[in-house]
Amino acid sequence: MRTRILLVFALIATVVLAACCPKEKHECTDEWGCAVFEPGQTVKVAYVGPMTGPYAAFGTDISRGAELAVKANPDVEGFAFELVIEDTQGSGEQSASVANKLVADPRVVAVAGHTFSGSTLVAIPIYEEAGIPMMSPSTTLATFTQQGSEVYNRVAFSDALQAKKAAEYIYNVLGITKIVTVHDSDAYGQGLAEGVAAEFEDLGGEVLAIKATTQGSADYSAALADIAALSPELIYYGGYDADAALMVSQMAAAGLEGVVFFGCDGTYGVNYIDLAGDAAEGTYSTNVPIPPSDAFDQFKADYEAAYGDPQGKLSPFSPHGHDAAAVLLAAIDRVAIKDGNNLVIPRKGLAEEIRKTENFLGLTSGAITCDATGECGPQELVFMIVESGAWVEAPGQ
Amino acid sequence: MISTTQAHPKRSLSLGRWIRPLVAVLVIAFILWRLWTILFVQQVYGAETWVRIGISGLILGGVYAVVALGYTLVYGILFMINFAHGDVMMLGAFAGYFTLEAFDAAGLLNRNLAWSIVCVATAFAAAMLVGMVAAILLERVAYRPLRTAPRLVPLISAIGASLFLENAAQLMFGTARHAYANPNVIGRDAGWVFIVNGKEVLVTYTGALTFVLSILLMIGLLILVKRTKMGKAMRAVAEDKDVAALMGIDVDRVISNSFAISGVLAGAAGVMWGLHIGIIYHYVGFIPGMKAFTAAVLGGIGNVAGAMLGGLVLGVLESLGPAALGVSFQLQDVVAFSILVLVLIFRPTGLLGEVLSEKKM
Repeated sequence: MRTRILLVFALIATVVLAACCPKEKHECTDEWGCAVFEPGQTVKVAYVGPMTGPYAAFGTDISRGAELAVKANPDVEGFAFELVIEDTQGSGEQSASVANKLVADPRVVAVAGHTFSGSTLVAIPIYEEAGIPMMSPSTTLATFTQQGSEVYNRVAFSDALQAKKAAEYIYNVLGITKIVTVHDSDAYGQGLAEGVAAEFEDLGGEVLAIKATTQGSADYSAALADIAALSPELIYYGGYDADAALMVSQMAAAGLEGVVFFGCDGTYGVNYIDLAGDAAEGTYSTNVPIPPSDAFDQFKADYEAAYGDPQGKLSPFSPHGHDAAAVLLAAIDRVAIKDGNNLVIPRKGLAEEIRKTENFLGLTSGAITCDATGECGPQELVFMIVESGAWVEAPGQ
Repeated sequence: MISTTQAHPKRSLSLGRWIRPLVAVLVIAFILWRLWTILFVQQVYGAETWVRIGISGLILGGVYAVVALGYTLVYGILFMINFAHGDVMMLGAFAGYFTLEAFDAAGLLNRNLAWSIVCVATAFAAAMLVGMVAAILLERVAYRPLRTAPRLVPLISAIGASLFLENAAQLMFGTARHAYANPNVIGRDAGWVFIVNGKEVLVTYTGALTFVLSILLMIGLLILVKRTKMGKAMRAVAEDKDVAALMGIDVDRVISNSFAISGVLAGAAGVMWGLHIGIIYHYVGFIPGMKAFTAAVLGGIGNVAGAMLGGLVLGVLESLGPAALGVSFQLQDVVAFSILVLVLIFRPTGLLGEVLSEKKM
């Protein structure tokens, strides 16, 4: 018995000593502290998104983009990068627990995520407190870059821009004056539907209603019949592709034949056309065009070789996943300091370095440049329309 | 055990004496006031909207009813909720999907009307077969070893089986969603057009097919349970397993049979869902499964006719409810589940539920 107690004490003493002492060598002057790696340890960068559950296609696809970025830039000063993939199942609650798990790991230095706006909303304060910079591949909620966050960055555009341009396009180019905006009750869709409604009214158009639906709903026919009773000329939808595809395929039966369906960047992709079939004809969405480049061709080839699926099948966002991770890895490369055998990464230094990114050669843009609020995405977008089963650029832009 | 069951009714009775009539009066007054406003004061919806919403409710209700039958059959015999039932429906939907894809690839799906019918019929047969095999295996692997365990144990096992099936399907079929390849004759936009209130109302062929098939399946099951020897054995086992065994009934076999039937129904529901809704993925069974479970409880779990009624009532209520109360359609589920709670307050055993015998309690 006594020996056992002694053993336990000895163990505790070792742990305490190990925890307190060996980091003295490097003087860490960073305000948020430093991440220190001993030889053989990996530098962890996380991707967070829906890997299981109804939106698993997005997470799977974007994480593959991030994986390819790590393959292309596998180490810093001889310390291997490790991509940690965490699953939110698309839900905010899960997202908070994943974020807490990541900040508890001292070897996680940056997060390429999160993927959905609702999930990002709850995660930002957690990373803010821990001093872990983020680079979201896909969240476009306008307010994220307007609230003075020091850790949040994105390679996607802002919905402030998308809402304004969409309202202008609908009012000026399509000449439509009566619309209903619909969202899926997620922060992203709701922000967009409300944004478009506000911009559209500013232009002089009439917004008959802003309708909420449930994300992942199995059937929209009753909700659509309710909208049909308002006789709108166009439905603007903020949400994701699968819900939008189901909605457009049920519009005719709900009495909305001939009403224009206008989606957003969440509804753009090959998948949407596959799912909605003929009903997709004449519907709109938003796309950030990926400029043709050798790097992108190489990426498409690598993607197919590594995963078997053609790039773009699961979602259009794997290049964004690649760029989010690549920008983070490059910034880590720039700030990491070799200290004897150890590697030291100053945390605030990293967050600031990310925002200094300038003319970075990515896939979504040949010159990714971040500003002081964390906007690193190209602030341009194109509206697309489905014609004969394929997305083409909509006329009149 | 006995003392608690005796003390309970007394307490709830004295509480119920005050609260129940109050709740009833308030709820009825609220519903009448909302109905009056919606129908006569604001006149939000024309007749055509009511018809459209009602039709969509009946179709969904039909599917819920077929799935609910599976819950109720298994509950009636084993007194456990088979939470993996919705995922058996998902497997059926995928079986039908691959059958139709294969016919499409062979160029037979749209060759002529006869071939289209053959294709759809084969898809149903394949899905029913897959559903049946899956349900039988599920019982063997996940429930039979736990038959003598306390009742919560198979319930947890059922939740585990459900997660297993969902994730296995994700691994096998991928995370992407799949669009059902309907034959052109029953394309999802095709249907009969009626004129109601001067407006066109479209009744899709897939919707009609779903509804009619669900009614046929329900009648078939009723006949099977009430008129056949197998049904008689099932009813006997439901009444008392031990006595049934003493009478020479092979209880394991009967339980296997009821799982097989529930699997067949779930498989058929999966194809109906695929043909009518059109989009399937590894998670597609979850919502219909939950709704059908609710429907089974609403109708009185363990009661076959109750599950049918519960399914149809739930489908219609969740569609018409928000319109009638003038609330957002986002609250469809809230309306449906509130009604479930109300029904259970006034009829704890469900709409057609009977008072359970001492043993089943």
